[in-house]
Parts: sequence; structure tokens; C-alpha cells
Amino acid sequence: MTEIKHHAYLFDATRCIDCRACMVACSVENNIEMDKTRIWVSGVGIKGEYPDLQRGTMVYHCMHCNHPDCMSACPVGAYTKAEDGPVTYDPDLCIGCRYCMNACPFGVPHFDYDKGIIDGAFIDKCTFCPQRIYNGQEPACVQTCPTDALEYGDRDELLKKAHARIASRPDHYIDHVYGENENGGTSYLIISHIPFSELGLPNLPETPVNEVSEKVMEMTIPFALGWGAVLSGVAAGVNLYNKKKEKAESTAKVEEVK
Amino acid sequence: MKLNLTIQPRFRLNFSPLVWILLTLMGIAFVVAMIRYIYGIGAISDLSYSYPWGFWISFDLFTGVVISSGGFLMAGTVYILGIKEFQPLLRPSVLTAFLGYIMVTIALLVDLGHPERIWYMMIHWNGTSVLLEIGICVMSYLTVLAIEFAPVVLERFPALHKIAHLIHKFIMPFVILGVVLSTLHQSSLGSLLLIQPAKLHPLWWTPILPIMFFNSAISVGLAMIILESSLSSRYFQRGLETHLLEKLAKAIPVVLGIYLILKFGELAYAGDLGYLFTSGGFSILFWAEILIGIVTPLIWFSIKKNRQSANGLLTGAIILLVGMILNRFNVSWFGVVHPDPMFYMPTFMSNVKYIPTLPEVSISLGIFAAGILAFGLAAKYFPVFDEEHAHATGD
Repeated sequence: MTEIKHHAYLFDATRCIDCRACMVACSVENNIEMDKTRIWVSGVGIKGEYPDLQRGTMVYHCMHCNHPDCMSACPVGAYTKAEDGPVTYDPDLCIGCRYCMNACPFGVPHFDYDKGIIDGAFIDKCTFCPQRIYNGQEPACVQTCPTDALEYGDRDELLKKAHARIASRPDHYIDHVYGENENGGTSYLIISHIPFSELGLPNLPETPVNEVSEKVMEMTIPFALGWGAVLSGVAAGVNLYNKKKEKAESTAKVEEVK
Repeated sequence: MKLNLTIQPRFRLNFSPLVWILLTLMGIAFVVAMIRYIYGIGAISDLSYSYPWGFWISFDLFTGVVISSGGFLMAGTVYILGIKEFQPLLRPSVLTAFLGYIMVTIALLVDLGHPERIWYMMIHWNGTSVLLEIGICVMSYLTVLAIEFAPVVLERFPALHKIAHLIHKFIMPFVILGVVLSTLHQSSLGSLLLIQPAKLHPLWWTPILPIMFFNSAISVGLAMIILESSLSSRYFQRGLETHLLEKLAKAIPVVLGIYLILKFGELAYAGDLGYLFTSGGFSILFWAEILIGIVTPLIWFSIKKNRQSANGLLTGAIILLVGMILNRFNVSWFGVVHPDPMFYMPTFMSNVKYIPTLPEVSISLGIFAAGILAFGLAAKYFPVFDEEHAHATGD
């Protein structure tokens, strides 16, 4: 295997046969219940009009964004983006506010609604199988995929591969790699024969969705200091004015008495 | 040292049916909250993977914070702008804000997955998170409000008058801090939704959401002062400061007018005017919010006769509040488009419709009831409405 600088997945919707082995592999590898698996497969039904019918299947998975919105949103910094790709979550910091779930445009992080404070309710999401990828293995879902619909490798290599595959069958594939630029680029790349919106993927711009909110946050402290200074100035000015007025009134009174 | 502990009730507040109803609501909420802590949030609410935030956030956080904005408005008017004639409205407003923020905090302790870790926000900082800013601001502002309200409590005990006087002497920095913190988090509640351009309907998502939120916090704060003065004057049978409320009511149309210009200007600038009539339910919600919360009160308070009568003031304030609370619900809940349910087949994604459950609502009602009761008790035992005591916090 070549050296991997930026870990990434490539999902080819044309190859997926909806067997859901990846879901089983994920729950076994990470020791989590089946209905809380970090990867989920969904047949999107039959699309098109007779006789041009096509069936599609989508494998939903953490997109491991280059500019993760969950990480941007988390107040306590429970998320980290590794330089080589994976976005990970630290349950020891989580306060359970679920802002990451709101922020993620793909609806990836999920929460233990069935746990009280004694069991501890946490967020869960794909970890990119660090115990495997840093030991030269593929993530569990990729290794188990029987049709190579899920592949794993270096992001640049996978992008090249995806474009080559599209070029080799331009009549079959849509000429677009979802995740190459969406939301600032993701580490889960998708190629498909049916429109991405029909796979349930949001139509996102190339700038990450956290762009505006991060810009506003950058302005917060300068604004607070400036606003505080303005208010202090106004308060001091008003105080001075009132005192002068009082003084003038009292001297006027004194003179009246005289 | 002799403490005057024999407190004479100032107003009638017996165990009336109202008090029993409030206590019952609080009891129900307490039991439901215990169930939530033992069996999880899912046991009592309809929140799901697609709807991580629901009624609690829209009502207790968004509505709770905005209706508490009267405190910083009055503190700023009286101390910073030096308009001392509003002194009689200061204490009730600060009390409302103080109780309001305590209610917000209690509700968050139910909503958070790890309520015992709420203080993590003080030590683990992620600078890009709007929620962190709100958390820090709300915690600090609660402290500021406690300091601003402390003299009212301390005055009750002659031995502690000195401390009250000391606080009053150094109140100015706290007032300025309070106004800055309020400006920040009132507007940041709008920024909280900025991260959802792909989910929040374009009728509401705009980069100037923080400005819209701050503007509406002002009009809502003024309306809340009118509402709480009117209601307490009725309940406690005391005089109403109509001449002061009239001045506040005069400012409302100006604030609402700016809102209207900003809102439609922004929609036109972003090219979203088309959504005004073509988005079905969203369009209806949007127009309901604009007509009830902005246009009607704008016209209502522009008419002198309405501003000068107690009933006119109360009616206008209620209309404005209904519309603006609808705005908060729209922005944080109704206007948020969640992923299409058909794509989320596995069990954990299938529960995509969100209808708040009765236990969920009962938590909010219980907290609200506690707030009303606490306001009543505070008004009964502390000189909240007493003008003759104003010298201790005023001039």
C-alpha cells in the first residue's frame, strides 16, 4: 500500500448491492448495537421512468469534512480534525448540548436518547477506525465490502481514481465527485449514476457551512471591547453633564437666595 | 447587631387557586425531570437524531432569553444614559431578567445530555463556537444580574444597608458589563443558526441574523416591561406608571420600523423575495410573524390614544410578544428543514417528525410556573416596586 497522507473513502453508488455487510462490520468492530451503527445503508428505491429505470443505494457515513462543522460548533472542543483526515469525538469533554447534530449538514452525529445521567448519554459518530488504519489495515466497513463499492486510500489518489472511472464510462456515471469541493471538501467521496440529490445528499456550496458563523465569532471580542468603550464614554459624558447641570442649578439657586 | 426579620407582607399573596396551580405544575415538572435523568431524554421527549433541538430550545432558551431583555434595557437607560425618571421600572425589569435567566439555566440542565458538566464551558473553550459565547455570556450576565438585584434584597435588612450602599457605589462597571454581555448573547442567539444555511429556510437564514435578533430583543424587552408593569399593577393593586410606559411605547415603532427595513432589505439584497409567496407553510409562518409581531404593533403604538391607556399599552405589548415569540420558534424550529425522512431508513433515523410530547411541555410549564411564583414572592417580601426605597440603588 502506498503511503497515505490524507485518509479518505471512495463510495461508488453503482457498485453497492445493498447487502449491509458494512453495517454489521462496523458494529462488530466498534462493539456497538446494530441500530446505533456509525454507517448506514439505504436503498433509495427505483428511479427514472420506464423503461429507463435505475435503482440506487446510498451508504451514509461521516464525511470527515476538511472544515468540520461539528468541530466548529462544539462549545467545549470535543471534536478534533486530524491533519491526515479523521474527525474524532472525545466523550470526556462532551456536555451533551447536541449543537453538533444541528450543525452537521449531513446529519451524522447521533445521540444516546435512551440513556440517563447514570449510564451517560453521549454523541457517537464514525472514528475512521484509528485502531485499524494506523496499523496498516483498511477501516472495517471497507474491508468487508464484497463489491468494492467502498474503497479506502489517500484522498488525492482516490480523487484521481474516481475521475478516471467516470472518464472510462461517461455514459454511466454523473461527471461529478461529490465531496471533492462540497462543504470545503470532504474525506468521503461519492460517485454515482443517479443524481446526488436523489441519494439524499444536500446541495452544498464549496465554502463550508460554518464560514459565516466563524467570521461572526472572529468579530465578537473586538466588538465587545469597542462597545464597552463606547458605553463607558457615554456613561462618563452623561455623568459629567449631569454634575455640571446640578452645579449650575445650585449656584443659580444660591444667587437667587442672595 | 439586630436583624429585622419580622417581614411584613407588602401585598396580598395568599394560597389562592393560582398559587396551587403553579405548585402543581412545578410538581409535575419535577417528577418528569427525574424520569428524564434516570431513563434518558428519549423517555420523555420526541427529540430524535433529526431533531436534536425542539420545544425546550425554542421556548426556554430562545424565548426565555429574549423576554428577559428588559433588564439590560432599563439598567442601561437609568445608569448609562442617566435618565433617572425610569427608576421605578428598573427593579421589576432586573428581577424579571434575573428570574428569566435562572429559568433558562434550569431548562438547559434538563436539555443537556450531561447537565453535571455544564461548567466545562468555563474551562474548555472552542473559540469558533457560538454556543460557547452564549454560555459564557449567560453565566457572566447571571452574576451581573445577581449583583444588580442584590441591593433590593439587602435593603430588607437594616444591618446590611451598608453592603447595599457599597454595591450601589460601584454599580456602573457592572451595568456596562451587563449591557455588553446582553448585546453579545442576545445577538448570538441569532448567530447560533448561522451554521445552518443548508437547513434553515432562506426566509430566515441571513448573515445579519445577529442584528435582527438584537433589534427584536429591544422591542421585546420594551413590550415585556409594559406587560409586567401592567399585570403586576393589576395583581398587586398598585398604581401604573402610564406616563413612563407611554415613553417606552413611543420607542417601539422606531425599533420595529428598523427591523422591517432590515428584514425586507436583506431579503431583496439576497434575492430571496420570491420565497415570500411560494414556500407554502413557510411563507404563511413568515407573514404571520411579520404581521403580528411587527406591522400590527408598529401601527398600534403609533396611535397616541393606544399609548396613553393602560389597556391599549397591554394589548399592544401582548400582540408584539406573540408575534416575536413566533419569530423565535420559526427561526429555531419551524423554519428548519431537516433531511428528508425517506433517505434515512435505519431505525435511528426514521423518527423524523417532531411533535413535542406532553411531558416535554410540562417541564417548560413547570419552570415557567416557578418563575411566576418567584416573582410574586420577591415582590411580596422585597421592595421591588417601592419608589421610596429608590435612593439606595438610584441617586
